Amino acid sequence: MNTPELVSVSVEVNGACFDATVEARKTLADFLREDLGFTGVNLGCEHGVCGACSVLLDGAVVRSCIMFAGQADGAKIVTIEGLARGGKLHPVQRAFLDHHALQCGFCTPGMVLAAVDLLRRNANPTAGEIREALAGNLCMCTGYVNIVRAVKAAAQILQAERAG
Amino acid sequence: MKPAPFRYYRASSVEEALDLLNGPAAGGKLLAGGQSLVPLMNLRLARPEAIVDLNRIAALSYIRPEGGEIAIGALTRHRELEFSPLVRAELPILAEAVPQIGHPAIRNRGTVGGSVAHADPAAELPCVFSALDARIVVAGTGGRRTIAARDFFVGFYETALAEGEIVEEVRVPVRPRPKGWSFLEFARRHGDFALAEASALLYPDDSGARCAAARVVVGGGAVDKPFAPASVENLLQDEFNSNLKMDSIASLLKRAGELAEAEIRARGAAREDGAYLFRLAATLVSRSLGAAIRRWQGS
Amino acid sequence: MSGGSGQWKGRALRPREDERFVTGRGLYLANLNLPRSLHAAILRSVHPHARIISVDASEALKLPGVACVLTGEQAKAISRPLRSLIPLPVEVPHYCLAHDKVRYVGEPVAAVAATSRYIAEDALEKIRVEYEPLPAAVDPEKSMAPGAPILYESLGSNVLWHDCFDYGEVDRVFAQAAHVLTERFFIQRYSSTPLETFGCIANYDDARSYLTLWTNDQRPGQAMPIIAHSLGLSAAQIRFITADIGGGFGNKRKPPYLVLTALLSKLSGRPVQFIEDRRENLMALVHACNGVMDVSVAVAEDGTLVGLKVRDIADEGANLLNPTVHSLLKLGNITNCYGIRAVRFDGYSVVTNKCPSGANRGIGKPFMCFALERMMDSVARRLGRDRIELREKNLLPPESMPYTTPTGALIDSGNFPATLKKLLEIADYRSFKEEQKRARAEGRWLGFGLAIAVEPSTSNQSAYILTTKRRAASGAGEAAMVRVESDGSVQVVLGDVGSGQGHQTAAAQIVADELGVPFDEVQVSPYFDSLVSPWMYTTGNYSNKFAGTDVGAIQGAARKVKEKLLDLGAHLLGVPRETLELADGAVRSRSDPQRRKTLAELAHVAYRDLLALPAAMEPGLEGRYYYRPALADLPDDERRVRNQLFVSNAAHAAIVEVDVETGKVSILKYAIVHDCGTVLNPLIVEGLVHGATAHGIGAALYEEFAYDEQGQLLTTTFVDYLKPSAMEIPDFKNDHLESPSPFTPFGMKGVGEGGAIPAPAAIANAVDDALAPLGVRLTHLPLTPERVWKAIQSAQGKT
Repeated sequence: MNTPELVSVSVEVNGACFDATVEARKTLADFLREDLGFTGVNLGCEHGVCGACSVLLDGAVVRSCIMFAGQADGAKIVTIEGLARGGKLHPVQRAFLDHHALQCGFCTPGMVLAAVDLLRRNANPTAGEIREALAGNLCMCTGYVNIVRAVKAAAQILQAERAG
Repeated sequence: MKPAPFRYYRASSVEEALDLLNGPAAGGKLLAGGQSLVPLMNLRLARPEAIVDLNRIAALSYIRPEGGEIAIGALTRHRELEFSPLVRAELPILAEAVPQIGHPAIRNRGTVGGSVAHADPAAELPCVFSALDARIVVAGTGGRRTIAARDFFVGFYETALAEGEIVEEVRVPVRPRPKGWSFLEFARRHGDFALAEASALLYPDDSGARCAAARVVVGGGAVDKPFAPASVENLLQDEFNSNLKMDSIASLLKRAGELAEAEIRARGAAREDGAYLFRLAATLVSRSLGAAIRRWQGS
Repeated sequence: MSGGSGQWKGRALRPREDERFVTGRGLYLANLNLPRSLHAAILRSVHPHARIISVDASEALKLPGVACVLTGEQAKAISRPLRSLIPLPVEVPHYCLAHDKVRYVGEPVAAVAATSRYIAEDALEKIRVEYEPLPAAVDPEKSMAPGAPILYESLGSNVLWHDCFDYGEVDRVFAQAAHVLTERFFIQRYSSTPLETFGCIANYDDARSYLTLWTNDQRPGQAMPIIAHSLGLSAAQIRFITADIGGGFGNKRKPPYLVLTALLSKLSGRPVQFIEDRRENLMALVHACNGVMDVSVAVAEDGTLVGLKVRDIADEGANLLNPTVHSLLKLGNITNCYGIRAVRFDGYSVVTNKCPSGANRGIGKPFMCFALERMMDSVARRLGRDRIELREKNLLPPESMPYTTPTGALIDSGNFPATLKKLLEIADYRSFKEEQKRARAEGRWLGFGLAIAVEPSTSNQSAYILTTKRRAASGAGEAAMVRVESDGSVQVVLGDVGSGQGHQTAAAQIVADELGVPFDEVQVSPYFDSLVSPWMYTTGNYSNKFAGTDVGAIQGAARKVKEKLLDLGAHLLGVPRETLELADGAVRSRSDPQRRKTLAELAHVAYRDLLALPAAMEPGLEGRYYYRPALADLPDDERRVRNQLFVSNAAHAAIVEVDVETGKVSILKYAIVHDCGTVLNPLIVEGLVHGATAHGIGAALYEEFAYDEQGQLLTTTFVDYLKPSAMEIPDFKNDHLESPSPFTPFGMKGVGEGGAIPAPAAIANAVDDALAPLGVRLTHLPLTPERVWKAIQSAQGKT
């Protein structure tokens, strides 16, 4: 194949619209990183196991390394860069800071987004439910203990915000 | 770890997908959720010349009752099954199995049709659909045909799909309704493909006290496809009833495990050292049946 | 040295690094983008062992977007051999690419630079390599035997190193002992697999013969001389930069990749980026040695351990870069927390056709601890003694500190009995026995296991003299710089920026106290840049050395600046310097705090109003400090040496349930008591304890690089190489003691490895306890369901 197969992609990422033409084989993760500059999408395994590249695609957490960019045409995507609103961190991000739920930080964007996905479905998860929801995101540093604590705390912050 | 080049086609209807697959994309691969295919492509273990992306076929995403069946469109994501009130009410064994598929991010993308067509013997849906006597509706240029799940899965990643055919729908009967049911799997880690898994369904006779039929299907590393050990199904059908005492049930489960192991061993399809996997499959059969019996008794 | 009092040290401050990570703004290597940069990919051997007949890259070069291809023969022609970190008996020339033979699956054979990684991988498929496959040396013991396939012909054997170290009267002690027990243990290959893979970006400026390298290599001080030598550059012709490193654990150092990428940049005249993908990372970066250990203990009638003999075979894979590290570090924790005085270590380093071994969290110490702590349980069983009481009897008492072990290691501090006692309290050991009884009656198999460990940190380079018989380096050290900038702000530059351990936060805590400024006002650079950062051979992020060397360097640099600030303040205020102190961001009079000069005022003079300086004072406010701990020594005539300098300790307990039908081991409870001396930041310390323990659990139950008998690697993805997730790691109950080291600036000791060392032993001991009625004894790691199930079958005579 001498001329690369190209596809056009229109996506909304973190509230901004992008139109691009990319090689059909380009993964969504590479597209977000290289073409659009969202380098918070980290590549940890590129075969859909570690979860570092997770993004929210039309509201649901997915692994961007095992989707092609072309498949995201028309989608709304939120990456870690788009989670904070108006300079204010998302409660999950704040809780990760408060509980030191990270060390090297490489898994953090995916872990935070997986937690956001969970808390949208389940406002008050048990520790077991948190562990289950995050089991597709590997962290090599923390042993997960502080991550579970942080997600519990974030659930409480979110509930308080809703009540208030 | 980047995929090799391919020609990319998007289909917005089954007909268009068939035209592509039997035309410019002949010999290519269908892309549904991509949760198995794309990793293989990234590793260049799969390198299709052409990809037909089915994700735009909105009409293939549904879960709806049709006659005595529930029809599930091939593009239905695992996540939709997981949260479907209809599935929960009518197909509790499916509702039990789906949350055991991978992780949320995988279930958000993975599709029913993709899992069925991929035919991994360690996957959850082929095992459960086989146990439920589901039928797979496939579309080809010559029209549609319906294949019983037990005939659809042929071997390791092998199905009865002909070249140029597409899985369109899975139809799952909801009657008769099992009185006992269970899906159990065993994996090294949560969310991994099963080393062993077992679906068990116990259907009552008119009196509700005896087992009129049993469905037991094994998946995982010990088999090459969802495998129903007939001797176990017969045993349950012949011997299980509501009046069995604890120790008789225990001995029944033990025999069920032994029969399952013998049949699976005779099939000899384990990919590696089989002794452990055969025994594990048998254990899962016993345990899954045990759980099904507890539900029977509790209902 | 005195522990400076201060308001910032000791506080659980949120690590400041975390803020950029939770918003996705980490400065990881892959996020740096140089204009015109090319992407490299590496063609790797599919054979465990083969002769390379030919490499033909002509078709690859024709592919649009391909800039250049480097083959092994070319690499040999345009670079010099890689210098081994640890010299070998016979130098074996090896380069960044294989040229004569390949010696493991995944060994680099050729490399491509192209306009994208996609195209570079396309090009790899067009390179034709003709191999003549050779039989492979896979099992380390078989590889030692005559007639085994030989990896390096010039060595004449696969035994790279063998030596026997005797301390005390070993033979007499064993001959006279009341009991002698011998067992054999096996450890698998595994690795910490940081989530960010290894990588580098090289920009070779041919016009100036100047190389700039951006990389996440965690040991710059060691990498730079190797690269310079291979490329024929001087140290002054290399600039080496690291930014945020997405985890290291010892794994992230790979001079051959740095050389290879530099050569591609030189050939193409453009910057070249090479970032491992995960398959490359699992196949070819680094594995911890697998190994076999025969352990004998001599025990007196009263249960005192009096002698220890270890025959250790470390399988180095095709490691020529730094062999014997695993062997040597075992000498440092060989007697663990016990007072054994007669010790023999008969060590072998063997090369095989597998991925090169190298540093990984704990290096050798987890296996040593595993073997000895398993033996303690065996001794207890044999003697009919309680395993806790047996340990208590043999623990070194706190009054023996500092204690020199037979091998020369100095245990500087620690209260081992108190650590164990606290562990038993938080692990509910007493109530467990009842729980175990009840569970067994219900057909559930519960077990309690514990392991204790010393955690030596801060490697002393002199130790390698023992294995190499050459003095290539000695001592330990690190460097740092503190500068009060021209506006009075404070900047800290570290030799060791860390890779997730919060070094930048910890450094700010130390400097804030030293200079009397608020924590938030101390900037710490996340970069290592050899042009700016002070560094030496020992510079880098390894060996848990932050407490042992980095703190001293940071403190030393801060104090240099502090002295100057006080001198300048005294001059400007016209008062004696002894009457002044640094507080609230100013130099002020102790008696009259209103008499003060702020750091900004002092900096104004130091950098701009130069004529206001004392005549003899050098302008500027910068302190660079190269620190070396005084404890480091050379080996003595008895071949004793402090191979690591400061010793933390821990005790772990696991309560597990074994499903005897499936072999699955579930951890029900896990308790940790850890002592790393003075705690600078409890949040950071607790996080490291958790993380290291999780890694130990991975090694105990899940992780294994498995090779088949022909030498093919079976685990090349995260689907096969199993890392534990949040579902596999339990919640930890943890507590700590603080036994400050008398030899570090604030009494701090290393913390990053502690969990990884005892965890495999604690879990295996718990599994054995659970299965004791069946007579099952597990000697191989990891404890996979299949392995446990088979052990049960074989104990029951079913196989």
